[in-house]
Amino acid sequence: MKVLHYLNQFFAQIGGEEKAGHEVLFIPRPVGVGGVIENTLKDHDVEYATVACGDNYFHEEEEKALSAIRAALEQFQPDFFIAGPAFNAGRYGLACAKVCSWVRDNWRIPAITGMHEDNPGSKEIGRHVFVIQTGASAASMQESLRRFSLLIERLLVGDDTAIENFRAEHCLPIPRRFTVRSGAPDYVRAADLLLAKIQGLRYESEIPQVETKQHPIPNLTGNLKDATVALVTEGGLVPKGNPDRLESSRGSRYFKYTIEGREDFRQGEFEAMHTGYDTSTVDKDPDRIVPLDAMRVLEKGKRFKKLHDHYFVTTGTGAMPSKMEEIGAGIAEELAGSGVGAVILTAT
Amino acid sequence: MVVITCLSNVATQVGVGRILGGSKFHYPVGQPELPPEEELRWRVGLVEKGLCALETPVNEPKVF
Repeated sequence: MKVLHYLNQFFAQIGGEEKAGHEVLFIPRPVGVGGVIENTLKDHDVEYATVACGDNYFHEEEEKALSAIRAALEQFQPDFFIAGPAFNAGRYGLACAKVCSWVRDNWRIPAITGMHEDNPGSKEIGRHVFVIQTGASAASMQESLRRFSLLIERLLVGDDTAIENFRAEHCLPIPRRFTVRSGAPDYVRAADLLLAKIQGLRYESEIPQVETKQHPIPNLTGNLKDATVALVTEGGLVPKGNPDRLESSRGSRYFKYTIEGREDFRQGEFEAMHTGYDTSTVDKDPDRIVPLDAMRVLEKGKRFKKLHDHYFVTTGTGAMPSKMEEIGAGIAEELAGSGVGAVILTAT
Repeated sequence: MVVITCLSNVATQVGVGRILGGSKFHYPVGQPELPPEEELRWRVGLVEKGLCALETPVNEPKVF
């Protein structure tokens, strides 16, 4: 059995931060923590090698790093790929997540990493990678390494129940989708759910509901006459040509565009990027999604003090609620920092 | 903040405080069948309703 272990420059004993730009290095033996894992697997006739890479090098030269790792895989032909554990080290955790995901997708061997649940790498894990839960620091090293060995042993035996038990007990719960065969077609299950609901019986949706967090509802402080009001939309309205490449679905970013001195939106100057609705009516007159012309009328009428000089935009379709939460918080922070007192948000 | 949308039930579920019903799902603040001047007058009226909502203190989701 062959194990290839990915380590950063620090755990591969190349050096500290000053060596973070170190390129990928193949070492045909275990290094540091690898030696501990190799030792616990000694009954399994294990051949062990290390691939080391600087934390910065991986992120700055990801393509080159992955191609060097591919060369190591071709040369060594491992049965298992492991990375880390990264604990709560962000750059290392992200590299472990990306390398494991890449190896699992392209090389089709079990890929195992380990990190703390707050490590940003835990958000970048691809399908079927095992992510062993660790503590936040290397203080939990011994226990973490023991779990790596235990999982490799279970994978060698190939007992699916034991592997699933291990996953449930020791791995981070990373949401995944699997194809499963159900006992009845969807229309029958839907009718069964409906009947159960009508009869007041217990029923459970097949789709887990996203828990929405409670948040405070702010009220206007002071008088609207003294407030700067901003326009925000999830309708994807951007300058014609979409200069910043706002995604038309699964949005991950937001932008702000100036409306200083602009009285209304004209056809051909702005357009909507959004696969969640038919944008043709908005494209003919973008005020139908961001009501700039109406706000100017009310601003002139001194209904409020001023329209904020930028409007904010993202695409609210097919997106991750967690990402949308981030985007909302980012927009809110910028608005609050600009002295905006009230917001009108249009949503499709 | 006031949200102008046609999906007021979704806005209520996620806990938006002030919700104002828009015209259509794919153009919440438009009335394309009206002549441009009338459409603007209608939009000013809708946004004015939004401003009134902003002036109304709320402590739970409310559809205006």
